[in-house]
Amino acid sequence: MLQAIWDNIKGLYSLLVGMSITGRYLLSPVETIHYPRQVVADEIMASFRGPIQLTKGKKDPAQTRCISCQMCVKACPGHCLSVTKGDTKAPAQWLYDFSYCCLCGACVETCPTGALEFSHKVYLVTLTREELILDLLADLQKRAAILPESQPVPTANLAPPTVPDVESIGEPK
Amino acid sequence: MTGCNLGFINPLSVLENPGTMAGDFYSRNFEKKAVPGRIILNLGPQHPSTHGVLRVLCELDGEYVARCEPVLGYLHRMHEKMGEVKTPWQFLPNLGRIDYLHPLAWNWAFVGAAEKLAGLTVPPRAEWLRLIGCELNRVGSHLLWWGAFVMDLGGFTPILYAFEEREKINDILQIITGSRLTMSNFRFGGVCADGDSRFFRLIQEFIPYLRERLKMYKGLVTDNVILRRRLEGIGPIDVDMCQRYGATGPILRAAGSPRDTRQDYPYGVYDQVDFPIPTGPVNDSFGRYLVRLVEIETSLSIVEQALKAIPEGPIMMEKAPKVTWKLPAGESYMAVEGARGQICVHLVSDGGQTPYRVKLRAPGFSNLSLFAEAAQGTILADAIAILGSLDLVIPEVDR
Repeated sequence: MLQAIWDNIKGLYSLLVGMSITGRYLLSPVETIHYPRQVVADEIMASFRGPIQLTKGKKDPAQTRCISCQMCVKACPGHCLSVTKGDTKAPAQWLYDFSYCCLCGACVETCPTGALEFSHKVYLVTLTREELILDLLADLQKRAAILPESQPVPTANLAPPTVPDVESIGEPK
Repeated sequence: MTGCNLGFINPLSVLENPGTMAGDFYSRNFEKKAVPGRIILNLGPQHPSTHGVLRVLCELDGEYVARCEPVLGYLHRMHEKMGEVKTPWQFLPNLGRIDYLHPLAWNWAFVGAAEKLAGLTVPPRAEWLRLIGCELNRVGSHLLWWGAFVMDLGGFTPILYAFEEREKINDILQIITGSRLTMSNFRFGGVCADGDSRFFRLIQEFIPYLRERLKMYKGLVTDNVILRRRLEGIGPIDVDMCQRYGATGPILRAAGSPRDTRQDYPYGVYDQVDFPIPTGPVNDSFGRYLVRLVEIETSLSIVEQALKAIPEGPIMMEKAPKVTWKLPAGESYMAVEGARGQICVHLVSDGGQTPYRVKLRAPGFSNLSLFAEAAQGTILADAIAILGSLDLVIPEVDR
């Protein structure tokens, strides 16, 4: 009987110890961020591998470096790329089905001209599955049209070495 | 007609004869005929206190488990078959998805087996980067287990703390792997990305931080009388039972046998680091809990040694294999120590585009097998504690 009471007191005491630790951490600064009002720092996002995108051309940012060699299409384990060759070497259509992509980087590492890179888009959300089939040529035109000053360019030394920081290559000096 | 009706249950027949047609094939055929005073309880696959989609059929006598049996296969994704239809390179992203808590050990097992078969040499910096990533990943895996285990036992708060640490580890590993969950930075003959100054700075900040937090864990959870009473003396698993079922990892070490693949069969640069193998003072659930917490500290000390020893240099061998690389004919075997036990990959190739056979040995499968014997005769709530202390990852068990 006495043992049972003593056990209960001990249990209550260790509960209080736990509660005091929880209370102390409750009053410490918040670790999480409130998404719509705050976003994760660019420093952290620089190494994140988002959906792939075409790199900007060396002379004309709107021009892709892709030569339609189909190496990435063969390398992709998820069969999510489709490149249609145009009249010249440049592709007429570049479709990318992100819903099948596992972000392994086989296409990026196998591309002979460095025409592909990982983007850092972490907030990609769609309502339908069809919207996930991305037209990368249109995306490239859109990104090239944006003035370079307004782009948040990640610092060069933070990007992983195999993903060259081609964002800054195409920009006018 | 009702005799061959296995899966489909007519709702009307259940209403007419309550109890006769309830359940599915497994639960209806678990016992040959109804035993008076016993009920069959279906734990899972969506029960909140089992892990993932594990299903355990229990035959209960009052509150005691008379017999129980895990039912597997709800998350079978044909990883071994996929290994036979993809080139070795294309199979790499799969490895991060077999065990989502310790993906880098699975990477190491497969890539190591292929490197052994082809005779590739890995540059030293890449070996050390592999070791750092693998050990940090092990810490993250144990932390998540710690939170989930205490949550199984009824304490919700600790998992929030565990996730805070885990996110910091993910921030570090994201620099070298590019992702936060299904990591895969191992390539044949190296790793895909180098660690930069921020990577090493974050690790150096993280190690003392986690050591401080581990002290807090002790006060919050380990010394808690309520938790200890739930764990002490519950589910003793001895070395003999581990050997019969092939259980490895923290379960075997808690049973008192100091077996660790990292020291018994050193791979990579594990022969150049010095670390003790923790064995449990007791072989019950609490012993397994303590062993994992000590292993976190061990991994931190390994990472500390690696930070001092890591040399400069290339991270990929010259003429590294491309995506269309073919394995030479032959077979090879690689065993590494994962967070849950020994991960083994047996690779057979006939020299073709894809491997002939990829056999993946998941430690979780063997560890789960002993649950039926360990849980027999315990109270149902204790069976949950035993199940949690086995640290199961169901994608790995089902593969």
